[in-house]
Amino acid sequence: MANVSVAAEWQLLYNRYYRKPELYPMRWKHVDLSRNKVACAPFGGPIAVIRDDSKIVQLYSESALRKLRIFASSGVLISDTVWKHPGGRLIGMSWTEDQTLICIVQDGTVYRYNVHAELIEPNVSLGKECFEQNVVECVFWGNGVVCLTEGGLLFCIPDFKVMRPCQLAETGAEDLPNCMVVVEPKYTVSGNVEVLAGIGDGILTVDEDGVHRVEGEAVQGPVQKMVVSWDGKYLAIFTHDGRILVTDINFEGVLLEYNCESALPPEQLAWCGLDSVLLYWDDTPLLMVGPRGDPLHYFYDEPLVLIPECDGVRILSNTSMDFLQRVPDSTVSIFKIGSTSPAALLYDALDHFDRRSAKADENLRLIRSSLPEAVEACIDAAGHEFDVSRQRTLLRAASYGQAFCSNFQRDRIQEMCKTLRVLNAVRDPEIAILLSINQYKLLTPSVLIARLINAHHHLLALRISEYVGMNQEVVIMHWACSKITASLAIPDASLLEILLDKLKLCRGISYAAVAAHADKNGRRKLAAMLVEHEPRSSKQVPLLLSIGEEDAALIKATESGDTDLVYLVLFHIWKKRPPLEFFGMIQARPLPRDLFISYARCYKHEFLKDFFLSTGQLQEVAFLLWKESWELGKNPMASKGSPLHGPRIKLIEKAQHLFSETKEHTFEFKAAEEHAKLLRIQHELEVITKQAIFVDSSISDTIRTCIVLGNHRAAMKVKTEFKVSEKRWYWLKVFALATIRDWDALEKFSKEKRPPIGYRPFVEACIDADEKGEALKYIPKLADPRERAEAYARIGMAKEAADAASQAKDGELLGRLKLTFAQNAAASSLFDTLRDRLSFQGVS
Amino acid sequence: MAQIPNLDNSPLNLKSLREQSQRDLVKILKDIRGKKCLVIEPKLGGSLSLIIQTSLLKEYGIELRHLSAEPVQTDFTKVVYLIPSQRDLMKFISSHVHSDISKGLQREYYIYFVPRREIQCERILEEEKVHHLITIGEYPLYVVPLDEDILSFELDLAYKECQVDGDTGSLWHIAKAIHKLESSFGVIPNVRAKGKASVLVTDILNRMQTEEPVNSSDMAVPEINTLILIDREVDMVTPMCSQLTYEGLLDEFLRIHNGSVELDSSIMGVQQEGKKIKVPLNSSDKLFKEIRDLNFEVVVQVLRQKATSMKQDYTEMTTTNQTVSELKDFVKKLNSLPEMTRHINLAQHLSTFTSKPSFLAKLDMEHTIVEASSYDICFEYIEEMIQKQESLINVLRLLILFSVTNSGLPKKHFDYLRRELLHSYGFEHMATLNNLEKAGLFKRQESKSNWLTVKRALQLVVEDTDTANPNDIAYVFSGYAPLSIRLVQHAVRSGWRPMEEILKLLPGPHTETKRGGFTSSQSFDALQGASSGLDKIADGRRSLVLVVFVGGVTFAEISALRFLSAQEGMAYDLIIGTTKIINGHSLVETFFESFG
Repeated sequence: MANVSVAAEWQLLYNRYYRKPELYPMRWKHVDLSRNKVACAPFGGPIAVIRDDSKIVQLYSESALRKLRIFASSGVLISDTVWKHPGGRLIGMSWTEDQTLICIVQDGTVYRYNVHAELIEPNVSLGKECFEQNVVECVFWGNGVVCLTEGGLLFCIPDFKVMRPCQLAETGAEDLPNCMVVVEPKYTVSGNVEVLAGIGDGILTVDEDGVHRVEGEAVQGPVQKMVVSWDGKYLAIFTHDGRILVTDINFEGVLLEYNCESALPPEQLAWCGLDSVLLYWDDTPLLMVGPRGDPLHYFYDEPLVLIPECDGVRILSNTSMDFLQRVPDSTVSIFKIGSTSPAALLYDALDHFDRRSAKADENLRLIRSSLPEAVEACIDAAGHEFDVSRQRTLLRAASYGQAFCSNFQRDRIQEMCKTLRVLNAVRDPEIAILLSINQYKLLTPSVLIARLINAHHHLLALRISEYVGMNQEVVIMHWACSKITASLAIPDASLLEILLDKLKLCRGISYAAVAAHADKNGRRKLAAMLVEHEPRSSKQVPLLLSIGEEDAALIKATESGDTDLVYLVLFHIWKKRPPLEFFGMIQARPLPRDLFISYARCYKHEFLKDFFLSTGQLQEVAFLLWKESWELGKNPMASKGSPLHGPRIKLIEKAQHLFSETKEHTFEFKAAEEHAKLLRIQHELEVITKQAIFVDSSISDTIRTCIVLGNHRAAMKVKTEFKVSEKRWYWLKVFALATIRDWDALEKFSKEKRPPIGYRPFVEACIDADEKGEALKYIPKLADPRERAEAYARIGMAKEAADAASQAKDGELLGRLKLTFAQNAAASSLFDTLRDRLSFQGVS
Repeated sequence: MAQIPNLDNSPLNLKSLREQSQRDLVKILKDIRGKKCLVIEPKLGGSLSLIIQTSLLKEYGIELRHLSAEPVQTDFTKVVYLIPSQRDLMKFISSHVHSDISKGLQREYYIYFVPRREIQCERILEEEKVHHLITIGEYPLYVVPLDEDILSFELDLAYKECQVDGDTGSLWHIAKAIHKLESSFGVIPNVRAKGKASVLVTDILNRMQTEEPVNSSDMAVPEINTLILIDREVDMVTPMCSQLTYEGLLDEFLRIHNGSVELDSSIMGVQQEGKKIKVPLNSSDKLFKEIRDLNFEVVVQVLRQKATSMKQDYTEMTTTNQTVSELKDFVKKLNSLPEMTRHINLAQHLSTFTSKPSFLAKLDMEHTIVEASSYDICFEYIEEMIQKQESLINVLRLLILFSVTNSGLPKKHFDYLRRELLHSYGFEHMATLNNLEKAGLFKRQESKSNWLTVKRALQLVVEDTDTANPNDIAYVFSGYAPLSIRLVQHAVRSGWRPMEEILKLLPGPHTETKRGGFTSSQSFDALQGASSGLDKIADGRRSLVLVVFVGGVTFAEISALRFLSAQEGMAYDLIIGTTKIINGHSLVETFFESFG
């Protein structure tokens, strides 16, 4: 039976099965791991290989210059470059989480490469001490490194994204440590890096702040090698006397102890998942030790590199890449020899069904009640399978079982198919990102996509992101930028077309960002063409400014209607260009011009004057000067005494002069002239009366004040100076006399001559002052009987009002008057009655 | 009763908008750790009083101050300014900082700009060399719900800035505010705009929709069906007329600020000498909701009836035996007594103004000008007002009304009145006149006025208006139907197309656009009439029209809109958006130039 052959490849360690499928035969040629330093990225990442300069090796037909080569995990060459860095031997080489290759040489210089073997500038130094003392060992984790110098000092880069080295506390020990491991910051209580160093016959914990000696039953005598589990919770220790111990990271208790036959420390020590530990010596079989039971041996006749993953270990040899993992429970339940689990029966049922055997039905009846879990197990097992045909069989079994389940989550199968399609796609040897389903879940799809685009597998990344329903913007954006970098030879217009063709796939993508990249690559014209397509003005405009397209920026900002953007451009040009050029740019553009004027009106008066002068708007300059004269007047220094009136008048006269330059502003010209004259007269009046009450009042007010003060001559003078009309003069004088209640003077004034606007002003002034008697002197003189009627009405003389109205033969007026009287009476009493009605006894 | 209106009855979920604004503000205050002094620009403080109770703010370790030229007096080291992005405020802040530095005070400064930071403000801070000392943030308050059907963008100066300075920043703000509404309530499928500024807002809004699309697929049906934008420039006649609705009159004489009036306590029957009290005016007051939109004449009658019936009830109560349930009803009615008293007091106070002959004469003159039949009488009336030095704002209101209906004055009259104005009120008003001329409100006549045609075609003057049982919006001005609302009335009913000819006579272009993902499903004229099934939202609610006034709206116009929406056969609820609630007085005031 097929099932048997599956399980036949498993090995049993205590009660757990392990399997070791070959993932890829290595496609590389002439790579001997023993001659090379090798760095393998976890999560099925790339492999960096460089000849080990610490070993003496024979050169065959190859150059003496060393080459750094980067392979996919299937051994397909991705890129290579010649290594010619100074600084001594290469000590440490490792991949970071975002797949940058970190290389550290003896003098403490850190070189960084991307997967395309391109050096990422700048190089960073670990510091002076490293330079002087030489680095002898590096311990990496996903996002940092700790280096040991010959002098026993420890240096650390806690975050490769920041690249800021720091020194850890000095151990004080004379000897160099036998071995070191790092506990990543995310697993320590302090959040800082902790180094566990096996020095002398104990272990020290070293961090930035200090050194502690570790106590615990696991630490008895010198330690030769250590390794921390991937979740940071456990530590495997190889002791001086050839024992392998597993302890909690806080050294509380020993979880595993096994006596190896060799006291020599293994070359490599690695966790396989969290269940067992692998030990590798280059001349003995690979040893796997679990918590109980006999260890397992794996025979290889080649040098190996162990690559720990979260759920197993990848084993790289010269010829193959294997994956050693504990067989998942669901797989065990189906394929274990003699298994009668529901899942196994379901799998078997499918087999019968395919062979049209009635036993299929029998099997199903047997497991009816536990069918959903059987289906679930088949789906899960399919996920863990690397072999596509077995995935298919398992999924078919699941699907077959599902048909008999009423309440099973239908999309589980679909989801698993989706995931497997993605996994199978990236497992292709050309891509060679071999992820188990657990690794994929831990890595997340977005990181996978980021890795694909970094490796320039844009199309696949695009398809996957579309398939799993993620935003494609990242992919397309990266593609566009890479395309620009790689297409120096393609002319702008054709490259633009190529780019636009793809960019339009993604709504809302930032054309400005692509344009910025083009600009950085020295393709300013392409940048300008691209930014034209950016729909968001707030991104477009700043970029246009940065590539020097000021005119375009101004136009775009204006079109956007966003005044803030227009100001951004205005200030930019204002700062960069000489004033005349600036004026020229904004003059014909209403919005920028108006905004500039509005801003400058507040804060840059002089500059604004320059603008108006340069554009020939003299009247605007005149208005500005006029306004300044007012501001001068508001100056508290000017209120007392008058020395500042001189400058004020000068400013107004300057304005007056400017108004005279244009024909259209004769009105303003005259007004300015009069204003200057008025100020002079008011000044004189203040000197004569010794009262500072005239300046800045209007002509009418000046006349009133003069009359109130009894200075009729002065009032008359102002009247003639400013050609005040008789009408206005009468209103002013009547009101002024009424203000000081000089009723005799008023009467005399009324008799001076027949008033040009009749006696209405007199009547109004008296009524307003509540002098009915005085009013009655003038009411009869009103020519129009209607006015008479209304005047009588206003002082409450209803009968006289009615008489006058009837005299006017105006029935409508009469009616209205009656109504007014009635309403007024009603209105006044209305609210009193309303309130009376509401004031209940006891309630208010 | 609280000044913050209860928004439960709003046709849109304005409450969630307000709560979002509350949360945003609280987050800002919480994010600045420890005790701090919050300095608020006074006008903004007024707007915020409609968002959150200031007493609540104190819970976040805050000492509250109003922004002024005076340095901030506080013991706290953190000073947080919450201010609108206005250039002129920057000099206050930089002088505060400089004064602190000279006194050796070490403080942390934060500025939160409302609604967003602007480069022109920051530039001034840079020039004053204080920018690097200040942490800058934003408080994105674009809209303040004034009442259950009114949204204000709180842009006091929008009209003047647009018309005089050519600064269209407020239009961007309006578009942004509408865009934000759309992100909560869906893309508005129909947009009708009249006037230059309105069309600009539409353009910016469409641009925003392409730049940052509102995801319309999330929402089944947009909650707002139609957006109508009216530029104030189209109708400057209406705000210059005296409003005659109850709320309008309250605003004209007592000035309503942020949904309340402030007046002497004696007027409200509280005997506390010289003390001012604030009376909230919003729809949470049931009686006010009932009478706010009525013509004031009618309000007096309604109040009288109510008082009479209550008196009757009371008499019955004391003379006859009542059942318990009847007693209960009576007590319920008694609960409305404070509201009754409040409005009787207010109405009486108003009537002291409305019964003045000068007020009646002014109304008369407004009608004469709107009728546009006797030019000379109007001219002489205004001339006399100037010569008598009556309040400049009142003069200008009539003058603007006069100039707008005549599309300017002949040069001779124009220059003559200008001279008389300068002589009577001082030469500093040259700037005011200049502003009015730039805005086209008081200008030289260049072409024949088409006011008469417009008036006739749109039936703006309605004879024999029955204010008690109105059948037309003209009741709000006792015989004049506000032009702006006539336009809205037509736009809602049938769109612009049937009235293109008249629209062309009014300033500015007009547009009608279809937007969003619903273009295909609805025919162009779907808005016609109530019969169209597509307009009705499935759950039986009426569909909603948002009417935005670019440049402000008066209470009388709002009343007219509410009247429209309450008419039989009207299939829409209306909600109003405005740059600010204005009246003739406050609008004219913005054209005065401030010196210094």
